[in-house]
Amino acid sequence: MLELSLHILDIVENSTRAGAKTVYITIIEDTIRDVLSVEIKDDGSGMSQDILEKVSDPFYTTKTVRKVGLGIPMLVQAAEGTDGKFRIESKGGEGTIVAAEFKFSHIDRQPLGDIISTLVTLIAGNTDVDFIYRHQHNDRVFILDTRDVKREIEDVPINHPDILLFIRQHIEEGLKEIRAEV
Amino acid sequence: MDLESIVKALNLKVRSGEDKLGTEVRGGYTGDLLSDVMANSKEGDIWITRQVHQNIVAVASLRDHAGIVLVQGSEPAKDTLEKAIKEGIPILVSDMSGFEITGRIYNLLINKTG
Repeated sequence: MLELSLHILDIVENSTRAGAKTVYITIIEDTIRDVLSVEIKDDGSGMSQDILEKVSDPFYTTKTVRKVGLGIPMLVQAAEGTDGKFRIESKGGEGTIVAAEFKFSHIDRQPLGDIISTLVTLIAGNTDVDFIYRHQHNDRVFILDTRDVKREIEDVPINHPDILLFIRQHIEEGLKEIRAEV
Repeated sequence: MDLESIVKALNLKVRSGEDKLGTEVRGGYTGDLLSDVMANSKEGDIWITRQVHQNIVAVASLRDHAGIVLVQGSEPAKDTLEKAIKEGIPILVSDMSGFEITGRIYNLLINKTG
C-alpha cells in the first residue's frame, strides 16, 4: 500500500465486518513533535486476548479463502519502518482500538494520500455506520460527524450523490483551513 | 532453472528452505513495495527485495514464489527467519545490490549465463 489512507480503509473495513455501528477515525499531524498518528476506534465485536496476540502475524487471518492476512501486518511494518509504533487494544464485545504512529518527517513515511475519497467511500458503503472523523493539524482541528449530517438531511439517505459531494467538499475545505499557514 | 543452480552461480547464502532448492524458477520480480509485489509477481518467481520484515514470507507464500533473495547483505529479521523455516520458503542472501543481482539472475534465466 502506497498511502496511509488505504491502510485506514482496510482497518475500518475490519471494523465494519466486526459489526461496528460507530467508528472514530482520528488523525493528528503534529509537525512540532514530528509525529503523524492515526487511530481507529470502533464498537464492533472486538477480539479475545489470544487472537489479539496474533493479529500482527501475517499468517493469521479471519478470512477463510486464503491463509495469509496482511492488513494489520502491513500497517505495523509501515509504522515501525518510520521510527513509529503500533498499538492495538481490544475487548470481546466492546470494540477495538488500532493506533499507528509515524515519524512525520521520515523519508519512508507513506503520504496520507487521498483521505477524502477514503472517507467518502466508507460513508457511502456503510450507511448504517456512524463515522466521527477528527483531523488535527498542530493546534487546529476539523471534525466531521456523520450523526450530525444525518440529523440535518433527515429522510435523505447519506449515500445520495449530492450529500456525498457535499461531504467531500466540506472535508476538503476543513482540511485546507486547518493546514493553512498562519 | 532450479533455485540451486542460481544459488551456486551467484554464491548466495541459504538462510532457510534448504530442502526446497530443487524448485524450478520460472521468472523473477524485484520490488520492495509489498502490495506491488502481491499484485504483479507470479507463481514460481524468485523475488528480489531489500525488505526483511516477516511480511515478506507471507507475500512469498501467497504468491507461491520459488524463493526470496535479500540484497545488500541484509539478513532476515528473527521472526522472518522463523516464519520462513516454518513455511518452507527459501530465503537467500547476497551482498550484491538489487540492480546487480536482478541483472545476473535475469541473464541466468534468459541466457543461462551469469
